[in-house]
Amino acid sequence: MTQAEIKLCSLLLQEHFGEIVDKIGTHLIRTGSQPLRAIVHGTGTSLDQVKKALCVLIQHNLVTYQIHKRGIVEYEAHCSRILRILRYPRYIYTAKTLYSDTGELIVEELLLNGKMTMSAVVKKVADRLTETMEDGKTMDYAEVSSTFCRLADTHFVQRCPLVPDPPESAEAQPPPPAPTLSINEKDMYLVPKLNLIGKGKRRRSSDDDAAGEPRPKRPKQTAESKEPMPDDGIYWQANLDRFHQHFRDQSIVNAVANRMDQTSSEIVRTMLRMSEITTSSGAPFTQPLSSNEIFRSLPVGYNISKQVLDQYLTLLADDPLEFVGKSGDSGGGMYVINLHKALASLAMATLESIVQERFGSRCARIFRLVLRKKHLEQKQVEDFAMIPAKEAKDMLYKLLSENLISLQEIPKTPDHAPSRTFYLYTVNSLSAARMLLRRCYKSIANLIERRQFETRENKRLLEKSQRVEAILASMQATGAEEAQLQEIEEMITAPERQQLESLKRNVNKLDASEIQVDETIFVLESYAESTMKRS
Amino acid sequence: MAEVKVKAQPPDADPVEIENRIIELCHQFPHGITDQVIQNEMPHIEAQQRAMAINRLLSMGQLDLLRSNTGLLYRIKESQNTGKMKGSDNQEKLVYQIIEDAGNKGIWSRDIRYKSNLPLTEINKILKNLESKKLIKAVKSVAASKKKVYMLYNLQPDRSVTGGAWYSDQDFESEFVEVLNQQCFKFLQSKAETARESKQNPMIQRNSSFASSHEVWKYICELGISKVELSMEDIETILNTLIYDGKVEMTIIAAKEGTVGSVDGHMKLYRAVSPIIQPTGLVRAPCGLCPVS
Repeated sequence: MTQAEIKLCSLLLQEHFGEIVDKIGTHLIRTGSQPLRAIVHGTGTSLDQVKKALCVLIQHNLVTYQIHKRGIVEYEAHCSRILRILRYPRYIYTAKTLYSDTGELIVEELLLNGKMTMSAVVKKVADRLTETMEDGKTMDYAEVSSTFCRLADTHFVQRCPLVPDPPESAEAQPPPPAPTLSINEKDMYLVPKLNLIGKGKRRRSSDDDAAGEPRPKRPKQTAESKEPMPDDGIYWQANLDRFHQHFRDQSIVNAVANRMDQTSSEIVRTMLRMSEITTSSGAPFTQPLSSNEIFRSLPVGYNISKQVLDQYLTLLADDPLEFVGKSGDSGGGMYVINLHKALASLAMATLESIVQERFGSRCARIFRLVLRKKHLEQKQVEDFAMIPAKEAKDMLYKLLSENLISLQEIPKTPDHAPSRTFYLYTVNSLSAARMLLRRCYKSIANLIERRQFETRENKRLLEKSQRVEAILASMQATGAEEAQLQEIEEMITAPERQQLESLKRNVNKLDASEIQVDETIFVLESYAESTMKRS
Repeated sequence: MAEVKVKAQPPDADPVEIENRIIELCHQFPHGITDQVIQNEMPHIEAQQRAMAINRLLSMGQLDLLRSNTGLLYRIKESQNTGKMKGSDNQEKLVYQIIEDAGNKGIWSRDIRYKSNLPLTEINKILKNLESKKLIKAVKSVAASKKKVYMLYNLQPDRSVTGGAWYSDQDFESEFVEVLNQQCFKFLQSKAETARESKQNPMIQRNSSFASSHEVWKYICELGISKVELSMEDIETILNTLIYDGKVEMTIIAAKEGTVGSVDGHMKLYRAVSPIIQPTGLVRAPCGLCPVS
């Protein structure tokens, strides 16, 4: 946990959950796993509040607990999970593109609430959808449930671990201090058989027709919700790993499209889709796929002949990018996608792009040169890059001071006399990636702080505009005249309106850049993880 | 009556005769003759006379004394050299010899000192003399600008000293390299464009977007933007810089010996490519470009 990460986590917790949760969360990140008493003592908050904060954190899967020896329960915060909060908009957007509005709302509800039962999700989503639909139409529960089932089938949502059933031979053992949760692999995506019948309810502020009827109906509704639902105790959460897999696949497909053409990228997308469920997320290679299978699974609109497909596959396998490899000849040729190599290439391209934007294209040339040739002397760098000696030296030293390039000394004599030592420049990709990752975290923290600053500065103005809007809305509801509405609107003067506009624009821009920096974080993190797993 | 023994000198014991015989022998064996050979030829001459003759020939500059692992060798010297060196003394001749041996790479003054064992002041004087006589010249090395290498006047300096086609008068021609860079890239890009438009079979499309280094070389020569004659290796170094710019990729294929442009049985093919990602997210935020760490 670097300083930058801790600061960012603290900002995120504060923004989404409030001060107290922020204090507890940061304390846990800083000090590792701690028992309850130590947390109370360390943060100086009351036991009650600590308990409530821990409940919130556990509900959102940000903190887990473990029973240690001697029966002490310790709580541990997961910094990486907290940083995923930044990526929530991206998850929701992905769900929207794949499963349209219903999917989007399901994922949004699950992310905002941490864990929920299926029936609760379905009910809430149906209500929300009904509100946005036209008058008279309502959303059917069945449709929402079917989307939920599809999400579970493609592993985008998964069951949370549960308390296992107590053993039959009840020896009246004292209950353990904390329940141990476990879940079977097979059950993780099993959707319970529910009979959810009903329609979404529209929340109406006033019922014009049948004003008398809603009253007796309402007590019945609340009574209904008190009955325990059949799937009580089976909670669902969003499967973030699966979303990450999807993002990774998307970036690989985009890279192939940029380097080659549209058809090749479609082929790669098909291959990745086929290996979605069969390959685990950390594997360096997908399962081998035969060209016949790929041909059968191509999207329906794409009618290319088998021959052309074979040619494309050969081209992909021969390309210097090395994303696709040929692993055998049975079934018309077995092809695998080299996931580790693809992630490495994407991460290196990211590094090169960062060097290019920060230092200029000549520095980028030198950086790429040293990256490809692994170890080079000063003179060789000048010769290969065709850059005059003075400038090359200057750029190399600049890159060296930023720790993107490092020096490797090879002494010729046992005493490492500088005049008789070789100095070779080299790029250590993993450490450069980590360093840039830290910089990304710092930038996001800066962006969030700036956004909060902007909102604080204009707090008075924002409150005023909110008041005016509330007055307008209430007056419109009670049926006021045009002139009165105009008068209220003019309470906000033109320069104030402009200020509000620019504030909105700035906040949006800052939000958007947070998401863009998060994309870089994703690429660099996946590369670091994949390299660590390999070694 | 004491009889003075007079050694009857054999008729060809005349010193000049001996020298002529030795010169003839040297002409017979242009690679050099050892002392043993001379002794075999003229067994009746004493060692002292032989030595004297050889010394005279050496001092007159008609014989070269070399050392080999079998012993000392005597070699006839080319006649034109003896004409040039008329006014110089032995030391200058020695220094000149050393410089001549260095060929077109030239030799540094310190190395001359090591080889000849002469003190520095002498070396400097001799070098100045030789330069004024226009027998040697000093060439500034492009690698270390303070170092001066000496070579014979009429020799062309080697590429490693002057830097070859990219250097004109010790100056690296960056604009020239840049212009060539852009021209090569444009050529490859247009080739890739036409290949993409043709909309054929993907294999043919890809193969036609490749250009071999020979084709690029011909194109650049025809363009005529370079005053200096460029070889294929020069063009390949330029294409390599394009690879390091990330704009071009290269593959090597095996080619038959006879095909045009193949070197040692393989050919290098180049193709223009576009980068695999857009500029990344971090650099779109000001924090990515900020110089404050």
